[in-house]
Amino acid sequence: MTRFVGFRADAGIRDLVAEAARNALLDAGSSLSAIDLGVAAYESDHFNRQMSLGHVLAETVGLTGKPTVRVEGGGATGALAIQTAVTAIQAGSARAVLVFGGETNGRSVDRATATEILALSADFEWEMPLFGTFAAPYALMITEHMRRYGTTAEQFAEIAVKNRRIALHNPDAHKGMSITVGEVRGSAPLADPYRLFDASLLSDGAAAVLLATRDWAQAHSPTFRDRPPVAIAGTAAVTDHPRLSDRPEEMFPHFAAKRLAARQAYRMAGIDHPSEQIDLAEVYDSFSGAELQAYEDLGFCPVGEGGQAAGEGRFDLDGLIPVNTSGGLLGRGSAVGATGIAQAVEVVRQLRGEVEGERAVSDPRIGVTDTHAGVGALAVVNVFERLA
Amino acid sequence: MKFTGTHKFTTPEGQEYSLLGIEMTQRYRHTVGFSDPFYQGIDQGLLRATRCSGCGASWFPPRRYCPEDQSETVWYDLSGTGRIVAATRVHIPPPFGGVKVPYVLASIRLDGVDGGITHRVLTEEPPESGSLVVARFDGADPDRPPLHPLLRLAFEIQETTK
Ligand SMILES: [Zn+2]
Repeated sequence: MTRFVGFRADAGIRDLVAEAARNALLDAGSSLSAIDLGVAAYESDHFNRQMSLGHVLAETVGLTGKPTVRVEGGGATGALAIQTAVTAIQAGSARAVLVFGGETNGRSVDRATATEILALSADFEWEMPLFGTFAAPYALMITEHMRRYGTTAEQFAEIAVKNRRIALHNPDAHKGMSITVGEVRGSAPLADPYRLFDASLLSDGAAAVLLATRDWAQAHSPTFRDRPPVAIAGTAAVTDHPRLSDRPEEMFPHFAAKRLAARQAYRMAGIDHPSEQIDLAEVYDSFSGAELQAYEDLGFCPVGEGGQAAGEGRFDLDGLIPVNTSGGLLGRGSAVGATGIAQAVEVVRQLRGEVEGERAVSDPRIGVTDTHAGVGALAVVNVFERLA
Repeated sequence: MKFTGTHKFTTPEGQEYSLLGIEMTQRYRHTVGFSDPFYQGIDQGLLRATRCSGCGASWFPPRRYCPEDQSETVWYDLSGTGRIVAATRVHIPPPFGGVKVPYVLASIRLDGVDGGITHRVLTEEPPESGSLVVARFDGADPDRPPLHPLLRLAFEIQETTK
């Protein structure tokens, strides 16, 4: 992957993706000639200023002459691209797939334009005229979570503090910060109870991974035998009603699609007790409270206990399951098409024991990535397992 | 599209890069399609939903075909009342203007249909979950800038729960 930053004046979307793809190929020690398929991940022509960017990126990377498919799934785009690669390999139509994604969500557009473009990801017909930022529906969900379970604003502010603190130690992170719960609560209001520091970052960045069969890796990746192999043990993508008000009332403060995707991906991976078997997770913290909702929907803690878990740091670096060891979207940042792939890069580095310092998880075997589109309209959960 | 000139940008590390100034404006004629009777309802002070002619299931936002059995739906009028599930105060203006910030936004279950709407409530403080609301319609005013039809609909608090 590339570093995530607020603005890469030295790199447009093509340069970013080329950089990430090169890093993936150098890591594997493989050449492009043995790769069967490219999967391009990006969300928005508006941010990247190029329609049909998929094959443009494939050409930039050097995959001309091979098939390429472009994948889009809102915030879950990168993770869905990984799932697409897995499907192609499982179907036997490819032995090695290069997944590359990126987005220039940072400051190549001015703030007003960015706000206008992002508003288009709300339902244009029924919601967008009422609210132009996702702070509003996230705020409605967490408000109901607070009412039902006694979750507090200070509890989710702890997540904003945690992820920004962790990002200070990640050289690839957009913006680590040392802030307090009081500073989160004192930042500018977006939609009550959410404040500016509860919201994730908009970044420029790209990420890439190479997925292959074991036979291909043994033949074409000289570095494969030097490191513990990591497999994708489970993957699932599930949709929900995009509009919050269409969902069954009992599920209003929950991500139903995430709950189902986690269940399916865990079943595929043979995970019966997620809180005991999972060693680390990259979770979609688009807003601080969304992370504590995800603790519940991913089965890390009982439903309704997410707030308490956040407040006591149960999923901090030294906790039961370290969550967002990269700093998450709040600290590492978010370049939409790259985000789910960058999560995979973080999890694989952890599983291989390549992360050093305070962010390092001790001897992990299973890691999970979690992303969603909108307020959970599409959820993708991928499970990674170290095999040796 | 417009090219507005090349600008020099210096990174914090002292490297200089060229940035091309590009401006784009898009103009659309966006049809409301099948939902047209809903928009006409706003002019008439009515909230409208659809009901399946086969199984009788009701749908809001309106659907042309019932996803349960693929039958066509028919339009009917709602009472305009509903109940708040959750509410928030929003501090960022919506994209089409016409709303002063902060404003109150709520997820509302509508009476008479198995569905809901996320919409504005005309009050200062976010009302409690369970509060009852009723739709209110503003007529189109030729002396004011055009207002998106969805913003001519809003909800008022009917009675507060204990
Ligand atoms: Zn029906």
